[in-house]
Amino acid sequence: MSATNLIPEGTLLPARVSNARALWVVLIIMALLAGAAMLFARGAMRLSGDWQEQLGSTLTVQVPLSETAQWQDRMETTRGLLLDALPGADVEIIDQAEARALVQPWLGNTELPENLPVPGLLSITLAETRLSVAQIETRLAQGGITANVDDNTRYADGLRATARRLVGIGFGLLALVLSAGLAVNIFATRAGMHAQRDVIRVLVQVGATDRFVARLFVRQAALRGALGALIGLGLAALLWLVLSFTSAEQEMFGLGWNGLLPGLVDLFWLVGLGIVFALICAIAAGITATRQLAAERKRL
Amino acid sequence: MTQTAHMSSLQTAEIVGFERVGLRYGRGPEVLSDVDVTLPAGSFTFLTGPSGAGKSSLLKLCYLSLVQSRGQIRLFGQDTALLPNAQRQAIKRRIGVVLQDFHLIEHLSVFDNVALPLRVSGQSRETYANDVVELLQWVGLGHRMQALPPTLSGGEKQRAAIARAVIAKPDLLIADEPTGNVDPVIGRRLLRLFAEMNRMGATVMIATHDTHLIDEIDARVLRIEAGRVFKGKPPVAEVAP
Repeated sequence: MSATNLIPEGTLLPARVSNARALWVVLIIMALLAGAAMLFARGAMRLSGDWQEQLGSTLTVQVPLSETAQWQDRMETTRGLLLDALPGADVEIIDQAEARALVQPWLGNTELPENLPVPGLLSITLAETRLSVAQIETRLAQGGITANVDDNTRYADGLRATARRLVGIGFGLLALVLSAGLAVNIFATRAGMHAQRDVIRVLVQVGATDRFVARLFVRQAALRGALGALIGLGLAALLWLVLSFTSAEQEMFGLGWNGLLPGLVDLFWLVGLGIVFALICAIAAGITATRQLAAERKRL
Repeated sequence: MTQTAHMSSLQTAEIVGFERVGLRYGRGPEVLSDVDVTLPAGSFTFLTGPSGAGKSSLLKLCYLSLVQSRGQIRLFGQDTALLPNAQRQAIKRRIGVVLQDFHLIEHLSVFDNVALPLRVSGQSRETYANDVVELLQWVGLGHRMQALPPTLSGGEKQRAAIARAVIAKPDLLIADEPTGNVDPVIGRRLLRLFAEMNRMGATVMIATHDTHLIDEIDARVLRIEAGRVFKGKPPVAEVAP
C-alpha cells in the first residue's frame, strides 16, 4: 500500500474553528430571511397574477330599470344577448335581493322601499371570446337593452399597483439580506485570516501565491454559505409548505392558495437562491482575502 | 532547460547579491548598514555573530520576508525590488527556509507540513508522497508522520522544519539556528543533510552561534556585528569587499 493511501491529506485551513458557531447561526438566519423575502415576493407576484386574471375575466353588467316589474324580462333578454355575443361565457343573473343587499350599505341601515328601482345586475365570467366593453354595450343596444358594462379596470389598476409595491418590498428585502450576507462574509473572512495568520505566513513563505491562499478562503466560505443556505433555505421551504397546506383551514395564516403545486416553482427558486447565497459568500471571501494579502505585503 | 544545464548555469551565477543594503524597522535606527554580501551558486556559508546583531534580519531579506530600506538585493540574478508578486512567490519556491521557531502548521500532520512546498507548487500527492516518507525516515521522523506538531518535542519540530525546507530540493537553503534544539548526534546528522544538499547544487547559508558546528564543515564564514557584515570567524574585523 502506498504512502498516499496510508496518510490522509489534511485541509490547509483548520476544519474546526473556535467561535464559528455564532457565524453559522447568523448565516442560517440570513439564509432563512432571504428565503422568506424571496418567497414573499414570489407569492405576491403569483397572487397578483391570479387576482388580475380573475378580474380580467369577469364583467359586471348593470341594467337600469324604471320599474321592478320589468326585472325578469329585461334580465332574461340581457342574458340571452350576452350569451349570443360571448359564446361559452358563464352569465349569471344576480337576483334582486342580492342586488338590493349590495345597494343597502350606501343608503344607511333603514329598509329599502319595495318600489325602489334597483338596477338589474349580471355577472359574466368570460371564456375564450373577448369583446371590449364598448362592443358588448353596442350588442346589447342592438337588442334593445341599455346597459353599463364594468370590466373592473379601476380595481385591477389599483391591485396591480399594490402588487407591484409588495413584490418590490419583497425583492428589496431580499437584496438587503443578501447585502448583509456579503458584509457578514467580509467580516468573517477578515476574522478568519486574522485567526489563521500563522498558517498564511507559512504558506506565503513556502511560495503560495495570493490566488492560492485566497482560494482556500473562497472554498471555505462557499462551503459555509452552501451549508448555511441549505439549512436556512430548507427551513424557509418547510415554512412555505406548512403555510401552503394550512391556508384552506386558517385563512388568516394562508398564502392565498392551497397545496403543493401552486408554489412548487418557488422551491426551484430557493435552490437558485441557495447557489447565489453560496456564490456571494465565496466572492466576498475572495475579494477580501486578495485585498488583505495585498495590504499585508504593502506593510512589509 | 535541462536539469544539467540549469545546474551548470547556477554554478556560474551568484545566487544572492547584496549591494550597500540598509534595513531599518519603521523609523528606528538601521539594524543593517551598507551590507555587501554575495553568495555564489553552490557555496556553503555560515553566518555568525552575537544575538541582536542582525543575523535573522539579514536572512529575512534573503528569503524575501522583509524589504530593504535602501540598496539593492539580487536573488537568482533578479532585482527583488522590481519583482511582481507572482514572480516573488516563484522565487520563494526556490528557497528552503528553516526558522528558529519552526513555523509548523499546528493542525497539519508532520507529513503534510513537510509536503507543504510541493503541495503549494501544485504537485499531486501521488507524485510526492513517497519522497516525503523517505525524507521523514531519513531525519528520524518516520514513526511520527501522522503526529501533530504540538505533540512533538523541540528536536522533532526542528527536524520536521528542516525536512520541509529541503523537500522541494531548493536552489537556496537558508537556516536560522537549525541545530539549536537538537542533541549533538542529530545536529551532526542534520548538518550532513545540509552538506548533501550543497553537494547536490544547493547554495546554503546557515546562521548559528555554534562554533563547533562551524568547525564541522569547511565553509565560508560571515560574521555580523552591529548591523555590519565581516568575513571570517575570528573576532578580528575584516570588512567584506
